[in-house]
Amino acid sequence: MTISSPVLRNSMRLILPLTLLYALFAMLKGHNEPGGGFIGGMIFATAVCTYRMSHGYAAQLRLLPIHPRILIFLGLGLALGTSAVPLLLGHPFLRSAVGEFHLPFTHHPFHYASAMAFDLGVMLVVVGVAVGMITQLSEELE
Amino acid sequence: MTTSATVWLLLCVLAPAVLGCATLWLPRRAIAARTLVALLGPVASFGILLQHFGAYGVSPIEAPAATPVIDWIPVLHLNLSFLADGLGGFFGLLVSGIGALIVLYARGYFGRDEAALFRFYPTLGFFTTAMMGIVLADYMLLTVLFWELTSISSFLLIGWDRDDRHAVKLAMQAFFTTGLGGMFLMGGVLMCGYATGLGHGEGLWRWSEVLGAGAGRINVSDPLIIWSFVLMLFGAATKSAQWPFHYWLPGAMAAPTPVSAFLHSATMVKAGVFLTGRMFPVFAALDLWGQIIIPLGAFTMLLAALIALNQHDLKRIFAYTTVSQLGLLMCMYGLGSLDYHGHANIEWDITQIANHAFYKAPLFIIAGALGHFISRDITQLNGAFRKQPAMVITMLLAGYALAAGPGTISFQAKEFFLHAIHHAQESIGPWWMVLMAMAAITAVCNVAIFVRLLTTLMGWPGGMKREASHAHDDHAHGHAEHEHGPWAHLIWIPGLVLVSLQYVGGLAPGLWTQWIAPLETHAAAEGIPTALHAFMHPTLPLYVSLIAMAGGAVVGLGPLMRGAIVDVHDRIYPAMYWLSVTGGGRAFRVIQTGRFRNYIVFVLIAFLGAYLCAMILDPAMLDWPATESIFEFIPGVLLGVIICATAILMPIVQSRVVRVIILGSCGFSVVGMYLLYQAPDLALTQLMFEIISVILFVLVLRLLPDTKETDAASGRWWRFTIGSMTGLAIGWLTLVAAQSGAEPRLGEFFARHSSTGTEMTGGRGGGGNNIVNVVLVDFRGFDTLGEITVLSIAALGVFSLFRRRESLPTQDEFGDQLMRSVRA
Repeated sequence: MTISSPVLRNSMRLILPLTLLYALFAMLKGHNEPGGGFIGGMIFATAVCTYRMSHGYAAQLRLLPIHPRILIFLGLGLALGTSAVPLLLGHPFLRSAVGEFHLPFTHHPFHYASAMAFDLGVMLVVVGVAVGMITQLSEELE
Repeated sequence: MTTSATVWLLLCVLAPAVLGCATLWLPRRAIAARTLVALLGPVASFGILLQHFGAYGVSPIEAPAATPVIDWIPVLHLNLSFLADGLGGFFGLLVSGIGALIVLYARGYFGRDEAALFRFYPTLGFFTTAMMGIVLADYMLLTVLFWELTSISSFLLIGWDRDDRHAVKLAMQAFFTTGLGGMFLMGGVLMCGYATGLGHGEGLWRWSEVLGAGAGRINVSDPLIIWSFVLMLFGAATKSAQWPFHYWLPGAMAAPTPVSAFLHSATMVKAGVFLTGRMFPVFAALDLWGQIIIPLGAFTMLLAALIALNQHDLKRIFAYTTVSQLGLLMCMYGLGSLDYHGHANIEWDITQIANHAFYKAPLFIIAGALGHFISRDITQLNGAFRKQPAMVITMLLAGYALAAGPGTISFQAKEFFLHAIHHAQESIGPWWMVLMAMAAITAVCNVAIFVRLLTTLMGWPGGMKREASHAHDDHAHGHAEHEHGPWAHLIWIPGLVLVSLQYVGGLAPGLWTQWIAPLETHAAAEGIPTALHAFMHPTLPLYVSLIAMAGGAVVGLGPLMRGAIVDVHDRIYPAMYWLSVTGGGRAFRVIQTGRFRNYIVFVLIAFLGAYLCAMILDPAMLDWPATESIFEFIPGVLLGVIICATAILMPIVQSRVVRVIILGSCGFSVVGMYLLYQAPDLALTQLMFEIISVILFVLVLRLLPDTKETDAASGRWWRFTIGSMTGLAIGWLTLVAAQSGAEPRLGEFFARHSSTGTEMTGGRGGGGNNIVNVVLVDFRGFDTLGEITVLSIAALGVFSLFRRRESLPTQDEFGDQLMRSVRA
């Protein structure tokens, strides 16, 4: 369903990229600041769904040209894969690795945690589920 | 033995399933390649097992060698470790060997039916693996696991013809019956592990411990051990089709014949016999062992033999003789518990098990082949020899073994059994004569069946006359014209290969002894005597055999008992099914109203009940909590009032749109609350959730029916009360929890460990400063994994429920459909 309001249409053009960026930011920063995969996914999905309400399904398809179930598949696979890697190294399931490494041309060490890949999987699943369900329901309406 | 031995045995177990599934990647038309790859699985298992015996020898049953363990789930006493002693190893060879022949037979049976072979080989491989797992597993719970896998895979095999509702029903019957037994087996295993663990620390969870080092810890007068035995025996009896659970086995004849030949000769039904043999060395010391197993086995043996005589469908005849033989094998283990001159009254048990497999599989194989070319109804087969000489000769060779004629290993096996009965008079007194009579009648039936097969198939006088056909044939699998060439002969050659082993045993017992004796648990040193030896030194059992043969010839040629009867036990499962469906349906309609608000009321009432119990059990719950700090922070109080007010407004307002708005404002107030109390993560999540739920509401709102439901208003106050009480209960709980001074608080633990670890967590932390996120992805990562899995499944459900249709229904139709699907 589309809401034909010029104000919404035009403001969405501004809001959408910012929201998507913020979603990624929230996911990436999640380990230390407020945020995380779940929240990032929710923000992303909200943005996509609002965009759909203002610009229609065709526009959403251009924005996210994948079927949501593929996102779910990728996300779940990534999360499972991340959890299973420690098994290969002889550690318990889901053990995370934490460390730092230096990027060229920077002074600060880059802090990483392997749980981030897991979080990315969570985000993909949440985006897939939320976008998929809403798309499916509204498709039935149209 | 090292861990590599366990890895090899694991490969041995998994090979059939892995290679069976590998055939799915072959092109559909590559039938020969498909057959060969599928064949590789059981052949590899067979080879690995032989190699294992070559390298480590056969583990003696009384003191099994320690088996190396690969940890899987140590907490649950479920690890990977395999015990290849004589019994398990023999069964492993039997399953993989006959499995290989069945792969070939299936190629002959299904012909060039690509679709059938495409589906059949993976399923068969799955079943073979499950069966190999049962017989080789060392951890008892691993046995249970594979036991259940055989139930599942046999369900797939028996209900092969998915369009045949009757076959699917019979597959369900087999699945429920054997699955029920599996539950009992699991109970028995758990009870055994628990009982042996009392006062000893670690219980016995492995067969090798139960039979070997821990055998002394099994106290046969302990009621727990006795119950554990009874439960395990129940599992064995259902799987091995003992009365009154034998009905599933003839019912399972709805399967294609390769399945019947495999499941009912060597594998599925033998699992129970195998389990009994596994338990035998230790549990036979129980008095109950003989008291239950001997009568049960003997009665099953006799009853099934009598039913078998009164059947027309070849597969049903052989199904009932299978049940009869299973009863005999159980009875053999029962008699084994008795004392005979100071040692166990059991001899050459593995030979007796092998004997059955080597004639019953060929009988089924040829029954399928004859059904394919002519008919499976014995009355239609008069003179079949002229049409299919090779098949008929193979069947008669196997039938001669069914009748336990001299010259087959079956003859010696029957002699051992009769000897065991004869020896039992030392312990059970004159009852042995009852058993002997039962065995003799069973033998009469078996001989009579052979005589009928012989006269009918050869077209001699005395055979079954042609009657109106009941149309049992094996043409259902779809290829009309018969194949020619070498592949086509696979429909009977595997039967000939197997039955020839019968005559190896019968005519050259020395060779047989050489093969089997290393695997035998209770082998006499002098080997198996030949039939000639038995005739030279006649004993009472021999006379009984001779009488049975004469009687069998008379009954077989005589005019009596030539009809086809219906087994009354076939009604057991339908009756149970009817009871549970009708009774369950009643209960279902009361509980499952399809109304969301009723479900919520159920949940809330259950919660309140639990809460009430907690209050009664713990008086501290009733202490007035510290309330002075509540009013310290005025903005929080204000938000709380708003939240409560919106919540109370909700049921008062009638309009749905207004309700959605109120719900939204309630949610956003909660967001504000989180922000005030510095929980940005929760606030963000809640915010997004509110937005998405409002969007969803807007979508769904138009679908809801406009008409007010009359009963909505009637229970309103009642629901209002329950809702407010739940709210008050949770509020009270929060206040009580907040003032409990329990140290250390859980929150402090997470706060301390979220970034860097301490010695409490082995020096490892989550590596992040955001506690909420670290808890989500690290401390409770397993929960999160489970949650996203559930989310994905829910989304897939939505995708499949609302599949895009060719022509979309109109608005009203769709609304009706939605409501119906919600109600249903």
